[in-house]
Amino acid sequence: MTEPAFVVEDYSFWFKLPSGERRLALDNVSFSVEKGSFVLILGESGSGKSTLALNLVGIYPDYFGGFNEGRVLVNHRTKGLVNRRELDRGERFQTVNMLFQNPEDQIVTLTVEEEIAFALENYLVPPNEIHPRVTRALDQVGLHGFKERSTLKLSGGEKQRVALAAMLAMEPSVLILDEPTSNLDPAGTEEVLDAVRLVRERADITLVIVEHEVDRIFHQVDEVLLVDGQAVHGPESPREFLTKRGMQVRDDMGLWIPQASEVSLELAKRGVSLTRTHLTGEELVEDLGTAGMREPAVPPPERDAAARRLTEAAEPVISVRGVGFSYPTKSDVLSDVDLDIHKGELLAIVGQNGSGKSTLASCLTGLFDPTSGSVTVDGKRTSDYKFADLARRVAYIFQVPEKQFIRKSVYEEMAHGLRALKVPAEEVDRRVEEVLKTVRLDDRKDSSPFLLSHGQKRRLSVACMVISEPEVVILDEPTFGQDWRQAGRLMDYMRRLADAGAAVTFITHDMRLVAEYADRCVAMSDGRIIFEGVPHELFSSPDVLSAAKLKAPPVFDFSKKLLGESALATAELIDRLEARYGRPGAVVQGS
Amino acid sequence: MDDLELSYKEANSPFHRMDPFSKTLYVLAVSTTAIFNSSLYVGIALFVLTFSCAAFFSGVSLRAYWKLGKVILPFILILTFVFPFFYANQVSIGSEDIAIRTPIKDLTWAALGFGALLGLRFLAIGFSGLTYAFTTHPSDLVQAFSRRGLDYRLVHAPVLGLVLFPSFLQLARDISTTQRIRDLGADLHPIARKWASLKHLAFSMLLMGLRRGQTQAMALDIRGYGAHKTRTFLRPIPSSLAGRVFGWSCFVLAVAYLVLQLGNLAGHMPWDFGG
Repeated sequence: MTEPAFVVEDYSFWFKLPSGERRLALDNVSFSVEKGSFVLILGESGSGKSTLALNLVGIYPDYFGGFNEGRVLVNHRTKGLVNRRELDRGERFQTVNMLFQNPEDQIVTLTVEEEIAFALENYLVPPNEIHPRVTRALDQVGLHGFKERSTLKLSGGEKQRVALAAMLAMEPSVLILDEPTSNLDPAGTEEVLDAVRLVRERADITLVIVEHEVDRIFHQVDEVLLVDGQAVHGPESPREFLTKRGMQVRDDMGLWIPQASEVSLELAKRGVSLTRTHLTGEELVEDLGTAGMREPAVPPPERDAAARRLTEAAEPVISVRGVGFSYPTKSDVLSDVDLDIHKGELLAIVGQNGSGKSTLASCLTGLFDPTSGSVTVDGKRTSDYKFADLARRVAYIFQVPEKQFIRKSVYEEMAHGLRALKVPAEEVDRRVEEVLKTVRLDDRKDSSPFLLSHGQKRRLSVACMVISEPEVVILDEPTFGQDWRQAGRLMDYMRRLADAGAAVTFITHDMRLVAEYADRCVAMSDGRIIFEGVPHELFSSPDVLSAAKLKAPPVFDFSKKLLGESALATAELIDRLEARYGRPGAVVQGS
Repeated sequence: MDDLELSYKEANSPFHRMDPFSKTLYVLAVSTTAIFNSSLYVGIALFVLTFSCAAFFSGVSLRAYWKLGKVILPFILILTFVFPFFYANQVSIGSEDIAIRTPIKDLTWAALGFGALLGLRFLAIGFSGLTYAFTTHPSDLVQAFSRRGLDYRLVHAPVLGLVLFPSFLQLARDISTTQRIRDLGADLHPIARKWASLKHLAFSMLLMGLRRGQTQAMALDIRGYGAHKTRTFLRPIPSSLAGRVFGWSCFVLAVAYLVLQLGNLAGHMPWDFGG
């Protein structure tokens, strides 16, 4: 049997509330992870994945409070399997260590070399040993030649890779990666996940990862751990994990699963017998085969046609003409941007970090006056509006909900916008109650907004901006850090707003979201709009995808191989595959 | 702030080759002399010295100095042109003859000299401080003082501040933007509105800052920050004989000048009750 990298035995962890009650986070958890394996931790938003990770490293409870029972045994390089508590701080963190979500929270020096050497210096590693370890760590994450670079001038993906290298330089036996790509654009995500792959190839290490980017990671991991309530299930192989639970993983637990697995599990649910649960598009293509399956080319999805009709028919509520914008320290952040935003549509703005998306949104909301050109809302220039009036017409919702809260309770937060509009008190009360029910926050109306869970905060941040019925809603990364169910509910709510006549624009890095919900999308690169059209066209334009450093969702590629025509969402593909293989009891085997 | 301007700039100049301790002596000497100096000639000499060090011996372009200098220039101009109106016999040159007549007050040559002295004082302090910041690698600074027995965490704290400051500034900007978007305090008197904004900004910054600070503290803990009383250093600390001689010379000259200055002041200053 393979040696364990760490073993968790009858482990419980809790916080004590001011009332003296226990708030249990982990309840009698036991599992072990094999040395050298790659493990994915899954769980819905707020389920305690990060709490588990922090307990495995020992930050909870030893450094930042809480109480525990049970043991965590770690495999020390020389001492073998020992209770973590028997190791001093240096030995402990050089055995199990952790990479945090946000690279900005971890970088504490001014150059890459210093950053990677920082922990080694603190642990008194002699300078002559530090140099080769820094070089090795940089090679492991594919950042050869970055030593002298300033940490302040790195991209998000590079920063996270430097933070990863800094951890690897300590040569830990186990490294836990807590959502390492959640703050990154698609290019940064790609870089970091490639670096993780390189680390697996080049370093003798056990990796544990918490990650939403399941399409890229699910098939790479050896095992999956599920955090559910205060329990931890597993580990088990990813295929076994999905096969055992089926679509319940997505539909009931609300977790993201790979699109190929969605197709596979849904087909199985509808009675198509498949020989295995598929984790990648390649596996699906391999088993369902392509030979003789091509059908005549199908017309573009109905949604695309409807979006075109809408765009052609509707009057734009916002018109952007020849807009340019420069910051005092950076010129041409936007150049010659033309765009119309229509009522009733869901418009996605995509592009890598620094492409000008947020600056454009700031121009649309009147936060910035364009350096050149004009932005008009209902035919009137944004600069001619009183800012507060414009803000009521064009609602802007931040990526981080907490930045948006200005009142002491959920109710007050919701009522604020209506009171500013001088809505009568009874009407305020009625509308707040109604919207709170819609976003399922009616039982938390007296709570402080800052004390809600992440999903609740996101819902509140949206609800308090849309309650005054703005004409335009602009959301920055609406589904950031949310599980499948929460993301779906939020986007369904946006769809309803659009159907009710609002123009909904969202800035996102999530191409699944664009494919499944956007009527139209705009791709930006270097401050310019390089594409405007329906999602199907965007994902069919390799030049645009390459210039904007975007990637089509996996289903777009593997559906083309399966059907000869790309599908934007798994539901479209499943319906067509079911029609082909949907005889109950039919068995689909490898081609 | 897109970039951190107040940071080390790589070069190979005499100031880069100086050890941080000698540079500290230089800055201390310039600052204390400038503060206690009442001679316009010494003020000019200090300005020339610090400007020459910055322009010819720091390896950093004057453009970099200007980028930051322009921020404090209004402050220096205010000192130079406003304070002569409050002149009260603290400069060692200049006559009591009227130099300029203004609607507010007639200014003597001595009053103008006083303004110039103030301006030169802060220019000298500014130039020497920026030379120090631009030419001293943070790790060298930590190392130099750690070797002299200071806890390295104390010296590293300003470096952490420099690295983390831009993100806190961005947070403050975002919260202010929210206040504008949501029209916080629209129904209040402008002063009460300002107060409400400040309260909200302070509360949100504190709350989010604490949360972020906790994550940062975790990240530092797991990387061994403070695990031992001292640490090793990857970078060899720069050191040059010329630098040490220069630093100590500045320091000795400053002490000598201060002794002389304090002796001279005794009989002239208004707070000299014995006089």
